[in-house]
Amino acid sequence: MSAPLILGLMTFCFLFFGYLGVPVAFSLMAGVFIGAAFTDVTFPAIVQKIFDGMDSEALLAIPFFLLVGELMSSANVVSRITNLSLALVGHVRGGLSQVVTVFSMFFSEMSGSTTADVAVISRALGGPMKKEGYDPPFIAAIIASASTIAALVPPSITAVVYGAVGNVSIAGLFMAGVVPGFMIGFGLMIYCYFFGPIGTRRPRALFRDVAHAFKDASLPLMIPIILLGGILTGWFTPTEAGVVAAIWILAVVIPSLNRRHLKLLPYDFCLAGLIFSLPLITIGAANAFGWLLAYLRGAIVIAEWITGLAGNDPHLIMLLMVLLFTIIGDFIEPVPTIIIFMPLVNVLTTAGNINPVHMGVVLIATLAFGLITPPYGLVLLMASKFVGVRFSQALRAALPIYVVFFGTIAFAIYLPQVVLWLPKHVLPESVGCFKNPSGPGYLCP
Amino acid sequence: MRIAEKLLLQRQRHLKWRALDPLEMILMVLCGLLLFGFSTTVMFDIITREIGHPWLWLQEVTSTFFVYAIFTGAAVATRRNDHLYLTAVAEALHGTPRLVAEIVIRLVVLGVASCLVYFGYINFLRGFSSFRMPSLTPIASLYAAIPISGALIALFTIEQLVNGIRKGFDHPEPPEALLEITPILTVPSSARRP
Repeated sequence: MSAPLILGLMTFCFLFFGYLGVPVAFSLMAGVFIGAAFTDVTFPAIVQKIFDGMDSEALLAIPFFLLVGELMSSANVVSRITNLSLALVGHVRGGLSQVVTVFSMFFSEMSGSTTADVAVISRALGGPMKKEGYDPPFIAAIIASASTIAALVPPSITAVVYGAVGNVSIAGLFMAGVVPGFMIGFGLMIYCYFFGPIGTRRPRALFRDVAHAFKDASLPLMIPIILLGGILTGWFTPTEAGVVAAIWILAVVIPSLNRRHLKLLPYDFCLAGLIFSLPLITIGAANAFGWLLAYLRGAIVIAEWITGLAGNDPHLIMLLMVLLFTIIGDFIEPVPTIIIFMPLVNVLTTAGNINPVHMGVVLIATLAFGLITPPYGLVLLMASKFVGVRFSQALRAALPIYVVFFGTIAFAIYLPQVVLWLPKHVLPESVGCFKNPSGPGYLCP
Repeated sequence: MRIAEKLLLQRQRHLKWRALDPLEMILMVLCGLLLFGFSTTVMFDIITREIGHPWLWLQEVTSTFFVYAIFTGAAVATRRNDHLYLTAVAEALHGTPRLVAEIVIRLVVLGVASCLVYFGYINFLRGFSSFRMPSLTPIASLYAAIPISGALIALFTIEQLVNGIRKGFDHPEPPEALLEITPILTVPSSARRP
């Protein structure tokens, strides 16, 4: 059987089994085993690739970020962050829809997971928004859109996977994701201000109320400082920063804010131990799938097709990549997509002479957008389920919000100097800069 | 509710044998212990490095706990139906089409699990000729996680398959428990509509 036919067969098997209801990890493995049966690759080699995919030190950060998110959800932290967001923007036109966005900007810097964000925001703010008369489809749309910020800003789990698989600086990706992440956040706030429902506006909070809300939320707000501070000063790797953040919650935040929860910590550990294994086993399966795709020259064929159209123009290459990944992201989740298509991304990054961190941020922003597009916008699906509206209604409400994502992705493509400004100044080596041999400072390509 | 009871998921009870409940609970506890284990070893790794006396073997222990935690979690998630899904068309079906779709799903998982057991075992045997540094432990100690996990996945899939064929897959489920998040937002009396 020819390589394109094998590729088609394994992709069909993966999508068919996946959409039928086989777990993603097993449908990927089934696709790979079926595909490998028509090649000279042995099955033990495929099992080895599955194992290799998850045996990476950088991926060790994922359980800790998920543990931090799990502990945050159960440590009575959510209400404090909500109160702070309310004190800051509750008086602005749009009311609770502004609060949702600001809450997500705070919370995503602690959880790193879009699905954790959407679950927490829907449960904390969905009910109150309904009570205040917001249109349920709009509630689902704004919550889902705001939750995508977690894919970009540190400690984004998607960025950890991209960095680990693509051998790109995770700290660099964290830093470069800040600008587009906050662009989405502020873009959503502007959208809600001009085009969203007016909502119930509260009186502007007094300075002392804002200060009080900050004081109340100060312990959990230390988590992003620990994570970023540790990584940026070079004290910790992302994995170690995750451990230190988890220790901070266990030793300080929970005993101070919700002492009664201490006896439930063993349960949190058991649950987090289960939850982290789910993306990791999927990563292993996707690694084998991506490896076979590359072995059958699938990545090279797609790369040649893209460079045939775009030449070596980095902007055009990225635009075509965005187009391709928007379509792929409509069907597959970001983490398996990144792992499966990393060989393709690497070829195109080299062909267009694109900074790997820049390419990473553009792709992660695109895949974050895929989380709210049909037919498989996972985050929008979750939000509509939590809010209790049909997916199609939530989708209609989300359509105008897409403009915020188009703007952010275009900005990220065409203004790399702005996206890479932060990593270049804070972690120059993460974006390929090197120490000036004849003087102080760094030289950047 | 006691932690042990909370660890045992009651969803899709009709597809489960009570005899395997203790196994689910043991695996859940193992997930927690392994996570706690590698959290502790990473912490000690930082401490010993910072004080200038790094314990190199800690990284080996960390990776062992990490790999076993992934495969243990993947196995127990099969029984709890907690895996990540693209979507479940089968759940929208009823009657015979649902039965056929659910059987196909379990057969696919069973096929993959069998491959993990058999070819994972071959890799395990080959792993005795490679060694991990610095302890020189055969890498087979890591590879063993694959066939063990495959066997557990196969066991839980057979459990669902047998019970599903006997009792049917299509049972109404109680609504899932919501996270306990204090709703703090109330409209203050001074709130105004512009």
